[in-house]
Amino acid sequence: MRAVLALAGKDLRLLFRDRGDVFFTFVFPVILAIFFGFVFGGGGGSSRIDVALVVEGESRIAAGIAADLAADAAFEVQRMDTREAAVDAVRAGRVAAAVVLPATMQDGVDGLFSGRGIPIEAIVDPSHRAEAGLIQGKLNELAFRQFPRMLADRAQMSRLFAGARRSFAEADGMTASQKLLAAGMVAAGESFMNSVNPADPAVPANPAATGVGPDGAAPSADGAAAAAWSPVDVQIAELPPRAGRPRSSFDVTFPQGLVWGLAGCITAFAASIVTERSRGTLARLRLAPIGPAQLVAGKGLACFAAALVVQALLIGLAVVGFGSSIAQPLMLAVACVAGAFAFSGLAMLLAGFCRTEAEANGAGRGAILILALIGGGSIPLFFMPPVLRTLSFGSPFRWVVAAVEGPFWRDTPLSDQIVPLVVLLAIGALGFLAGMRGVGRPFGR
Amino acid sequence: MLTLRDIRKRFGATTAVDGLSLEVRAGEVFGLLGPNGAGKSTTIAITTGLLAPDAGAVDLLGLGSPADPRVRMHLGLAPQEITLYGELTARENLMFFARLYGIASPRARVDGLLAMVELDARANDRTATFSGGMKRRLNLAAALVHDPKLVLLDEPTAGVDPQSRNRILELVRALAAEGRTIVYTTHYMEEAAKICDRVGIVDHGRMLDIGTVPELIARHGGKSAVTVTRGEADERVLTDDPVGEVSRQFAGGGVTGVRVERPDLETVFLALTGRSLRE
Repeated sequence: MRAVLALAGKDLRLLFRDRGDVFFTFVFPVILAIFFGFVFGGGGGSSRIDVALVVEGESRIAAGIAADLAADAAFEVQRMDTREAAVDAVRAGRVAAAVVLPATMQDGVDGLFSGRGIPIEAIVDPSHRAEAGLIQGKLNELAFRQFPRMLADRAQMSRLFAGARRSFAEADGMTASQKLLAAGMVAAGESFMNSVNPADPAVPANPAATGVGPDGAAPSADGAAAAAWSPVDVQIAELPPRAGRPRSSFDVTFPQGLVWGLAGCITAFAASIVTERSRGTLARLRLAPIGPAQLVAGKGLACFAAALVVQALLIGLAVVGFGSSIAQPLMLAVACVAGAFAFSGLAMLLAGFCRTEAEANGAGRGAILILALIGGGSIPLFFMPPVLRTLSFGSPFRWVVAAVEGPFWRDTPLSDQIVPLVVLLAIGALGFLAGMRGVGRPFGR
Repeated sequence: MLTLRDIRKRFGATTAVDGLSLEVRAGEVFGLLGPNGAGKSTTIAITTGLLAPDAGAVDLLGLGSPADPRVRMHLGLAPQEITLYGELTARENLMFFARLYGIASPRARVDGLLAMVELDARANDRTATFSGGMKRRLNLAAALVHDPKLVLLDEPTAGVDPQSRNRILELVRALAAEGRTIVYTTHYMEEAAKICDRVGIVDHGRMLDIGTVPELIARHGGKSAVTVTRGEADERVLTDDPVGEVSRQFAGGGVTGVRVERPDLETVFLALTGRSLRE
């Protein structure tokens, strides 16, 4: 038993003497617990999807949907004047989607029984596809929420029944008896609606009671008919492609894949100086007429070159192998250089301060995981509460994607690209400076 | 050439160097002799400027502290560990260090060094595939790549076979013949006796004495022991004149065997520290 206790004591001592092990054993789980606690509603505010809203024509239903959308806890709505402004905001990544309530909405309401449907448009960022489904469902829900109000509006209902009567009368594919039957049904419906007092609480507030489910499907016995006709026509479209240029989904996935290549550079080079230290070659390097700045610069340059190569490889593959096109080649090159600089700076920061290879490898992986978590590498940013979204601004993952996507496929104006570039350059410079300080520390025994 | 004055260095509760002073003259091979843990490697690290002493001063070539990179340029170090890149070939290793020092014609310099350490035939092989002795020789070559005036060799024969050890000792003598100053740490007394012009005996971080090997033996070695065998009986005589004593014993007749034990550095170390060099 004494031997067992001795072994256990020795191993625990070893564990506590390795900062990497201590981090992954004790600190990292705490970080994860706090992070997911925030993500899944443990505090720090609610998670909202940023959407731009454009109301192109004033109507009762548009006003209702706009008001309900603004009041919805799932969305942070920014009203914009034009469709173009909203699309620009999506392209620049400032919002996940643009919701457009077109001027033809009222026509859709008036012709509801003629099978046209109420049109609503949403333009989503292709890198936010996860939000697209959520937005579509929410817009359907909001549209259906307007139905009780429509039913309570006698003038609206009169227009609606008149439109239906006209549609049936003009329908080519119906026999005379079918037209007669349909006209009878419209008349009966109109008669029923006229018998109901608009202010009467018997007017159903629940969309289900109007004969339409909240999911947009009418609870008809005829399932095929229900599937064929929907009174709400939510059109989800991705950002319009740039004029004259082909675009593929790989435009989106490859810039996001870049960050993992850059992350690989961190793990590869974070241990480079401690490896020199452990095999003794650092003593030779420090004896040579080079200072810590040159040492870090040399190591950083290797990391920088590797980072550039991995980016060139991925972008080249996207273009040659997957039909992607580059909107602004020069700015993309600048973004890649800035990204490589930021990540090699981070690698040098770790390299300068880690004392053992295990510590460097552990810190490298830990840094990547944490930066990826808060930078949206693992969980989309829109799922995150405001506090984590704010923290994400400290992650180079977020900035490198923003910097590369802009000139790669978003085709954003230069003014929108400056901030990510400056942030990346600042991260890299701080990393290199800190790394130099770390390497310049006196040798231990 | 090299002066260390009252150097002190502690690591926590451990005193590694305790007021050590020495002066190495230009062109000599100076041996730092002491057991493992005596403070030799710490002294070397302080001499290179890589480790700052807690107290005391180091002066190299009258230029000041080797903490200054311009002063350090005149130093070459072959550390106790093999400090090479195993993934690189012998030539690549030396070329890298030559470029680091800005050597004008690195290729010629490297070829010369590879020939000197007899690794020219393996120049393009990865260092990881080398034997211990070959790595030691390349480690030494890496210390010489910038043609330093002072070469610090920290246990350069540790863990090598006798053949490689002899080759390294020959190299050290050759370097000395070129006029370089060499500080050589070892715990092998026979190596120190063979190649060192002067030896400093170090233990517990202190310099116990410095001198040539005969001087140290004369000061601390004591008398020689002459053991004379006559038939079954041995007689042990301590004397300052073993040759004269042997002559006298033979003159007495009946001698069937004689063994002379002269004092050596081991004896000196034992006398100075009360313990064996290899303890």
